[in-house]
Amino acid sequence: MSHQPNPFLSSSGKKSTCMEMLQLILDGQATTEQSQYFKTHMDHCMPCFKSYQLDMSIKELLRTKCCGGDAPSELVNKIKSQIAQSI
Amino acid sequence: MEIEEAPRQHYSDQEKGEIFNNEFLPHIHSMYNFGYRLTLDRDDAKDLVQDTYFKAFRFIESFQRGTNAKAWLFRILKNSFINDYRKKVKEPNKVDYQEVETYYNSDDVDRQITPDLRVDALKDMIGDEISNALNALDVDFRTVIILCDLEGFKYEEMAKILDIPIGTVRSRLHRARQLLKEKLSEYAKSMGYKTT
Repeated sequence: MSHQPNPFLSSSGKKSTCMEMLQLILDGQATTEQSQYFKTHMDHCMPCFKSYQLDMSIKELLRTKCCGGDAPSELVNKIKSQIAQSI
Repeated sequence: MEIEEAPRQHYSDQEKGEIFNNEFLPHIHSMYNFGYRLTLDRDDAKDLVQDTYFKAFRFIESFQRGTNAKAWLFRILKNSFINDYRKKVKEPNKVDYQEVETYYNSDDVDRQITPDLRVDALKDMIGDEISNALNALDVDFRTVIILCDLEGFKYEEMAKILDIPIGTVRSRLHRARQLLKEKLSEYAKSMGYKTT
């Protein structure tokens, strides 16, 4: 087990669950200390390791497959011209 | 008022044009994608985006130059969707958030951390599966995934866009991801992957 101080402890002293830690890491909202701690934690926690791999893959898949498609140019032009007229 | 409170600004017409062109318009593709993912209809998405941009211009003096234009625009679009579109077209959402909160805060959450879905099954998904799985989620769950995973908003920004506390953002996001995995799991099974 890790002997590092737990940077996920809340001010009330409550420990974060694996899922709560994973979420912060996944969403890039963990501090450097938290990221480092979680990296060590994953070496001992197979469910976290597997979930991390899976969740990162899904996140990447969402980003690459569901973001596509520019707004239609006629929509962009219509908005631009109406705004230009009202200035 | 649906737009974030800020001290009222005073802009000349030229400044308004600059703000609109330089700070608002660069987000139009993300806005269109958001509109489409909410309505699941290209024409409705166009109407929603157009309406949002006109509103943003009308209330431009509520926007403080140089602040987070993308979050401000997304908030207007989300409110237009709820107030103007969903009321007309869709039934109100029926998600039991109390249940979600209770679930998230319970001691059972870690037991669910290992999903019955494997990374190798995802590799064969060509795009339609993930898109369909996302679209099949209830709109409020879909929204948090779009904002977080597609658009990269931080929890704090999402809380402002959605008018909900950060804790609720996180619990809703957690539940949304679980539901998305369940959908993807169904696809994986239909593709012949063993998922358990």
